[in-house]
Parts: sequence; structure tokens; C-alpha cells
Amino acid sequence: MRVVGQELPRVEILEKVTGQSVFGADVLPGDRVLAGKMVLSPHPHARITAIRTERAERLPGVKAVVTAADLPDVRYGRFVRDEAYFATTKARYAGDRIAAVAAVDEETAEEAARLIEVDYEVLPSVTSGLEAMAPDAPLLHEDYADYWSQPDLDRRGNICGHKQIVRGDVARGFAEADRIFEHRFHVPMVHQTYIEPHTATARFDASGKATVWASTQAQFPLRAAIAQVLRMPMTKVRVIPTEIGGGFGGKLSPTVEPAAVALARKARLPVRIVMSRSEDFQTTNPRHPFHLRYKTGIKHDGTITAREIEVVLGTGFSAGSGVMISQGAAVRAPGPYRIPNLKIDSYCVYTNTSTCGAYRGPAGPQLAFASESQMDIIARELGIDPVEMRLRNAMVDGDETPAGAPLEDVHAKETLLKAAEAMNAVPKPPGENVGRGMAMAHWLVGGMASSAGVKLNEDGTVAILTGLVDLSGASTSLAQIAAEVLGVSLADVHVRTADTDFAPHSTLSAGSQALKSMGGAVLLAAREAKRQIQQVAADKLEADPGDLELDGNNVFVKGSPERSVTLREVGQMALEHERGPIVSTQSVSRLTPHPAMAAHAAEVEVDPETGHVRIHRYVAAQDVGTAVNPLSVRGQIEGGVMQGLGQALSEACTFTDGKMDNPNLLDYKIFSALDAPPVEVHLIQHPCASGPLGAKGVGEPPIIPPPAVMANAVFDAVGVRIHDLPITPEKIVKALKAKRPA
Amino acid sequence: MEPPRIRITVTVNGEPYQEDVAATRSLLDFLRNDLGLTGTKEGCGEGECGACSVILDGRLVDACLIFAAEADGRRVETVEGLADGEALHPLQGAFATAGAAQCGYCTPGMLMAGKALLDRNPSPTHEEVAHGIAGNLCRCTGYGTIIQAVMEAAKES
Repeated sequence: MRVVGQELPRVEILEKVTGQSVFGADVLPGDRVLAGKMVLSPHPHARITAIRTERAERLPGVKAVVTAADLPDVRYGRFVRDEAYFATTKARYAGDRIAAVAAVDEETAEEAARLIEVDYEVLPSVTSGLEAMAPDAPLLHEDYADYWSQPDLDRRGNICGHKQIVRGDVARGFAEADRIFEHRFHVPMVHQTYIEPHTATARFDASGKATVWASTQAQFPLRAAIAQVLRMPMTKVRVIPTEIGGGFGGKLSPTVEPAAVALARKARLPVRIVMSRSEDFQTTNPRHPFHLRYKTGIKHDGTITAREIEVVLGTGFSAGSGVMISQGAAVRAPGPYRIPNLKIDSYCVYTNTSTCGAYRGPAGPQLAFASESQMDIIARELGIDPVEMRLRNAMVDGDETPAGAPLEDVHAKETLLKAAEAMNAVPKPPGENVGRGMAMAHWLVGGMASSAGVKLNEDGTVAILTGLVDLSGASTSLAQIAAEVLGVSLADVHVRTADTDFAPHSTLSAGSQALKSMGGAVLLAAREAKRQIQQVAADKLEADPGDLELDGNNVFVKGSPERSVTLREVGQMALEHERGPIVSTQSVSRLTPHPAMAAHAAEVEVDPETGHVRIHRYVAAQDVGTAVNPLSVRGQIEGGVMQGLGQALSEACTFTDGKMDNPNLLDYKIFSALDAPPVEVHLIQHPCASGPLGAKGVGEPPIIPPPAVMANAVFDAVGVRIHDLPITPEKIVKALKAKRPA
Repeated sequence: MEPPRIRITVTVNGEPYQEDVAATRSLLDFLRNDLGLTGTKEGCGEGECGACSVILDGRLVDACLIFAAEADGRRVETVEGLADGEALHPLQGAFATAGAAQCGYCTPGMLMAGKALLDRNPSPTHEEVAHGIAGNLCRCTGYGTIIQAVMEAAKES
């Protein structure tokens, strides 16, 4: 292939390096835009007895105040309709939306927000999913039984979803085992911490149509959500996605957008809401905290006979996507292994926090931390090499997921061996407190309904029309696919992400499936455009369309390159030709899921006095299918590793009395350049049958193994096992002290 | 109560400006809202993320922590001033080819951090670059490509 597989700079890179990209807060720069501000509950759980807005409304400069009274009485939720946009009778977390104000400037809006008086009766609260399952736990939704929900959801008290998977017979599997191991693990909530906070700008025009500029990964679902919350016809809502300053699954659900629309409607002026960093930490959709129990039966030779797994996921004050994520967690919980006997219970539980969401690789790092820590513990106990033990149990083509879906294009063993080989290529340096660890993980990449348009311009260039928000280089990869099919260079292809009014329906940018879904649609559309080009060119060249090839901006007869016509000529000829302009819009849906493997290894040095972990080396091998743009793929992997290492060593949203302790970038510690180790990336490239031109999804897998890798490496270095993320210096020092004889 | 207004004279990317600003106006809001230079970003408003990094009289600062009035009589450099017409600054070219910008939100601040470093240390080591951008958070790249880009730019300039 000529263009696919090349390390090409992103198509939008010039705007990005010159400061010209328009992000969420950059729209309508010259216009008069009101400043919007949310009023949020300070209490994690409280009955609301009164909301008084008069003082705020009287403040000079205030243009609108909205509360639940200004919105239709709508409860929403894809799995359980348990969420209202503004709280009415009860606040269910510290950050629950009470009201919103719009004023001439930010200072006035902040002052107005302070003048809104709310009477609360504080109730007992619970932020731990495990504690929320207890019979005497405070109940978040007293009326849960009356809520609409998808059928077959097992809901009781604070449990809003329970998925059980049983394969084979675990009792028999444990009876066949030589050893049985059981461990518990805990993973706290972590936040996506994109550098651009949530923001929305809304404007109403005279026809009653709302235009909303939003930093979103999901423009079509956002349009539907705004229409639902405000009970507006969907045609009266236009969402324009801006350049997005990072999402990582944190910008899939509506946050401030409906409030911006409601304020703009009432004020009859454009309104912009930009979340403060503190609001962003406390009121968006972070990664679910997990409590995990893994019980594994194993033969002396390292063959796993059974696994019994219990997962408790704290979803926050509404089910949100937690139900789906807990169901997906059940499917992926056993890890990339063939295990004949399984019993998996996955619970989705209400807690008094913000609603957790689909942070990159949802459920992945939590599950892998437990599963791969335990694999390491078992290998050491049995005296088997951890690589060897994983190889013995690794999935192969034809194996099924616990849910019974057959898997193809599985490259678990090769990925694992690559990571091990790369790590072992350099001998471990001598010295105490140096250790190595590894872990492997898988992600299942589905596909979602998507469409895209491809056209040939009269000057021979190509344009792609999509509705896909470019989160991680997808636009460039889509252009490379079209360029490949149509025989042009990347510079001749223009990609435009249009808004909800004009774009063909496109998938959301999530789940590592954007390129699979949209790339599939672009590939079909480019192939159809190619067929049309061949048809037009065939008349001119007096050849059979099937004998024509496209390359170097020319169409020529196979074997006779001198019989050719340029794409520019074809673009012009098509306008006079009976078939007309060359354009095609194609769709895909329900694509076969494929597995994507990641195996990571690290060498660390632990300072036993301070507990500080220094990462000497980090190796990431990943099964990526065809790397459409290896520069993008490597970038995704390096970035994913760094987020995963943050979760491993330093990140956690912690709560005291139901309030987040650390909603700022000083106390919530993501990796800086000083913390970041170099990452050695190894791509395993085998074209995947179910991906466009063989590509696999790449975004999620790299974030999944790092916490387990660090846990295993730290154990290897200093002999202490941390079961509770993050693996902080304090925990290491404490564990070392406990280990030393008194 | 309205804060008092102050007349300031400031040079931004070589252009002189004379403006009346509220005493409490941050340099960041002044650049973005009063001058329309939206290339400089806000990520936290608390001086912790570095997205609003600009160069003030040769020193890298967080524009969110500086009052516009403090820039009176001084020179400010922002991302919009990096390129010389059509010609990119070596840092911009290196960021593009190294894949050092993904979402691009931290990029303007990173570029200014890189420039502030190269202006005082034209051939930094890997570690010196890491220190030079330590106050600028990036959540997409993992920093490796950014450090590589700064070092490439150092070779070119």
C-alpha cells in the first residue's frame, strides 16, 4: 500500500501548531456572549425543601436563571431512566445540578450563583459501591422500582444492574484444581483529566432553533439528549462539534450543554458555560471505582481450571453507562485466557458521586489489575515463569468470549512473546530493589452505525464528509484510506467533520471503534467513487471499466499506462457525462467485533526508604492489525501507557464525607514530563479480517495493563504486593515496614 | 463593585497595544477576550496545567496567574507570534512531524515552553527539555514525542 501504513502528519496539524484550531471556548470570539455558571449541591445527599432565585435574578447584569421549574419534567437514561437534569426534591451527590445562571460577565454570574438560596436537609451518604450494597445503606433512589428500565435488569435497592455469566461448572473446575487462590482488589475512581474542561456555547435564533457548539465525542447522541431534556424537536437542535481538547471517554454524555441552551433561550442571547477545573473533576463522568474478588483454580502445570469473579462497580448517582460497562466487565473479567469453567457476577451500584462513565478502556484497567496481579501471584507460588503460565492459558483463534462469541484474529501469544523478548533483550541491571513485571490485556472492538461521503472535485482532489469528531487522528487515517483507494496523495484529500444538521450520521468517537466504523464507511464510499471514476474514464479511454487502475492522480489502462486520463479531467468530464458528479455516501452497521491484544513489561527501581518507584524501562507490544498511520498508532500507545501509569502510581479521586478531596491538578496528580519514562512500542501487524484494510482499534488497549505491570514489577523489586490502587510511596513504605521483623 | 480600570501599553507578538483593562483582568483573559488571541488556552485557571503559558519579557509565565496590568510596558509572546508569516518556527515544524500534538490543546503552551527553553539554552539535553516542559501537562502524548520535537527543533535553529 502507498499511503496506508505511512507515518504522515495529521491533516489538521497546521491549525494546531499555530493556535488557529477552534476549541470549545474559542467560538463566537467577537460576539457578545453571556457567561453561564452552574449552581451545584454542596452536599452528597440531601433533601431539597426550597430553592429561592429572586436575589440572584435582581442582581444587575443577570440575564437568566434556570432551575428544574424551567424544564419539562423529563427523566432520562439509556438503561434506567433515573436522572433528571436539575435536581428537584433531592440532591444525590456533591455536585448535583440545582440551577444555572447567565450574566454579562463571569464575576456577575459567580455572584448570582452564590445568591441562589437552597434549603437542604442533609441525609446520610455512601460513596463506596461495596458499602452501598449493604442492606442498611442509604437508598439513593427510593422510587427505583417505578423507574422505566431496559427489560431483564436485575435491580434491587442501590443495585441498578447485575450481570451473571456462567460457563461450564465452576464447582467441578475447582474440584479439578491442584491449588485455589483467592484475592481481593480495590481500584478507586480516576478521572480522564483532558486538558480542555467541558464547555458549551448556545444560541437561539428567531425560528426557535438552538445551535450548540460543544467539545464532545458524540455529537449525534448529544443532539438527541438536548432535545430530550428540553423536549424540543430534534430538528430544532443543531450541535456543532468543535475541536476537542481531549476526551478519553469523558465527553460522551451531556453535562453543561442543556443548561447553556436553557439559559440562551431565556436570556435571548448566546451563553457560554466553561467548567472550572474543580467542577470538571466533580461533575463529569470518571472511571468507575471497582471492588474485585478473584478466585482461581489451577493445575500444578499452570493450567487454569476455573475462575469465579465478583465485580462491584460504583456507578454514581445514576446508572448512566455503568450498566453497559458492568455487563462488558463480566465478559472481559477472566482476561485473554481460555478458561473452561467460569462464574462471573458483576454488580452496578448507585453511590453518592457523579455518574461514572466510559473512561478509555472502561473496566479494563480495574479488571486487569486484579486478574494480572493474581496471575503473577500464582506463577510465583507455583514456581512457573509468568510468561509461560500466560502462554499456557492464552486465547487462540476460535476460542469464545465468556458470552459465547467466537473470536478470530487473536494474537495473544505473539503479543505476549514480543513484550517479553523486548524486555529480555537488555539484561536486568544488578542491584537490589530493581524488579520487572508484566501484564497482558485484551479489548473487544465492536462497530457502530456510521456513514461517510466521498466525492471527486472538478480539480481532481477528493473530499470526505463525516460526522466523526476527530479525537485521536481518525480524520488523517480516513483520508489515508480514501487516498489509497483513489490513487492520490494525502495532500489531495480533504476531510471535513460537519455538524449534526449536515453530516451523514457517524459513530461516536469511543471504544477504539471510530476508525473501524468510519473507516469501513469511507472505504465503501471510496470504492464506489472509484467505480464511478472508472465508468467515466472508460468512455474516454475506450476501455473496459474493470481494466482501469488509479494511481498518481491518473486513471490508466492496466498494462498500458500511456492510455491514461487525469483525475482532474475525470472530475470535469463527469459533469458532462450521463452519470453526473462523482460522489458516494455509504453506511456500515453491526460490524463483527475483533479482539485487540496488549502486553506490557516494565523494569522499575523502588527506593525502600521513600517508596518512590522509578521506571527504568517500559515496553508496550500491541496487536494493531494494519497500522493505517503508525505515527498515530504509536502516539495512542505512548499516551495510553502514560495515563495507565498515572492510575497505577498516583491518581485517585478520594472522598471525605461524600466530597471529593482533591479536585485540582495539584492534588490529583497526573504524570508530568518529569514522571514519564520513555516507552518502547512494538507493533504486531497482521491484517484483521473485520477491520478496514486490516486495521484494528488501538486507543483502549494501551491504558489497560500498566497498573498490573507496576504492581508486579514493584513486587519483583521489593517483595510487597499492593492490592489497592494507586501504588503510592506511602503504601509501599507501609507494606515494607509490615514485612520487616520487628 | 466595578474594579478600577487601568490603561496599559503592552507589546504582543511585536504589535503595540494600548487598552483600558479592569485591574482584576488576567493576562489570559486580556489576550483571549480583549485582543481575540484565542490560541492561548485555559486548562485550570490556577497555574497548574500550563495550557496558558506565554512568554513575558523572555520568561515563561502562566497567563492565568498574571494581571494584564502587570504586563504594562512589557513584551508578550504567544503562539500566534511564533511563525514568521507562512514560515513555521522550527518548533512548530518539529511538533508536526514528530506527532507531538494530538488533541492540540496543550500545544500552544508547550510550544511557548519549548521556545522559552531554547531561547536561553539552544542545545538542551533530554532531561533539560523534560524540566523545561515540566509545568505543562499533556494527557495525550505521554511527552516522548514532545521532548523529541523540542530536541529536533534545537538542532534546526
